[in-house]
Amino acid sequence: MRLRRQVPHTLAGAYALDALTGRDRMRFERHLAGCDACRQEARSLREAAGRLAAVTAATPPPHVREQVLSEAARTRQRPPLTVDGRAASGAGRRAARLRAPRMAVAIVGGCMLVALVLGGLFIDTQHRLGQEQEHNRAIATVLNAPDAVMTSARAATGGTATVVMSHRDHALVLTTARLQALPSGKRYEVWLMGRHRIRAAGMLPQPREGMTAPVVVSGVAAGDMVSLTAEPAGGSRSPSSAPMLTIALPA
Amino acid sequence: MTEGQPGTWPAPSRGNDLAALLARVARGDQAAFAVVYDCAAAQVFGLVSRVVRDLAQSEEVTQEVMLDVWRTASRFDPDRGTAMVWLMTLAHRRAVDRVRSGQAAAARELRVAASETSYDVVVEEVESRLEAQRVRRCLGSLTELQRESVTLAYYGGYTYREVAGLLGVAVGTVKTRMRDGLIRLRDCLGTDQ
Repeated sequence: MRLRRQVPHTLAGAYALDALTGRDRMRFERHLAGCDACRQEARSLREAAGRLAAVTAATPPPHVREQVLSEAARTRQRPPLTVDGRAASGAGRRAARLRAPRMAVAIVGGCMLVALVLGGLFIDTQHRLGQEQEHNRAIATVLNAPDAVMTSARAATGGTATVVMSHRDHALVLTTARLQALPSGKRYEVWLMGRHRIRAAGMLPQPREGMTAPVVVSGVAAGDMVSLTAEPAGGSRSPSSAPMLTIALPA
Repeated sequence: MTEGQPGTWPAPSRGNDLAALLARVARGDQAAFAVVYDCAAAQVFGLVSRVVRDLAQSEEVTQEVMLDVWRTASRFDPDRGTAMVWLMTLAHRRAVDRVRSGQAAAARELRVAASETSYDVVVEEVESRLEAQRVRRCLGSLTELQRESVTLAYYGGYTYREVAGLLGVAVGTVKTRMRDGLIRLRDCLGTDQ
């Protein structure tokens, strides 16, 4: 990569995070204008940054939807850009320039469903919520807690477990990736190991694509540890083997 | 979307659905816009409220973003990127603009505590949760300083100079950590299929 000046180029990360203001941003955009490789890097970093939004999903109140739709019905749309044209608004211009290739297809999963609905195939979108809603709410509460901290650990037998915990909520969310597959009839069980006792905290769900869906553990205290052992599929009253992985929760 | 569809995620074709909807929105299709709203509102509102914090302002910014989508859908070019990142770029930009205006900043400080739990938070969809899991795990692969620099800027809406102040490190250090952190995040997310 040929760089005319080293200094502006290092701002690519800050730029992708919208962390540049005023003159810093103008200088960097000038730099981008003259450097194809830099534009490409800025785009790929914007892509990575955009995916950070995947952990913050939260449903807005229903009245927002009504207001947006009725406002849209009264709002004139902009014409498309013509060849080499420029958008009139700041937001439009920026977006046109910063669009990233191959981006976060994953986070639009729900659109498949609604696209089918639009196509005439009726699916009750509310149906899926039901009992999962409480579980999701518990997860979201921990993930959105102002004091949420994340920690992860690697299992001796391969794979990792990640914990997001909130002291405020005395709760944590546990996920795992690529843990060693267990023989049939065995499942991973989660244990909360306090100073004085060990408590069973549920079984890990079966992995999908190597990852397990989040498990919520409540009643967590500072200084506790989380560990995983292989147990009979029905679960055990106490760990029957040495933990394959232990995470000391952040203080 | 149910648990009973293993192996369909992440499917590259999914991104095209939102892009196709945006093409219809660009032609003034209000029904398609309603669907785009339903697809993207949780992502937009979630990000905006993470940055802005204040509930009332988050709702306002979400409305602005969605109306941007309506007005400028014709400017979305599927050859140059996916629809969701286009949307999230609009959303993040609007959110940081809001917190950087002085008045909003003051209101945000005052109202942040009251708004923490005042709205209905639901993480959408199994797929979104898996993506969230993946993102968190990749964030976990960053060094602490990289992670703090990236998350303070993205979720906190702070400028890189402010991040340097918050972390007590040199501005130059934060610049490089943000870039290195995003490169590592990009590589982790991109190769983690």
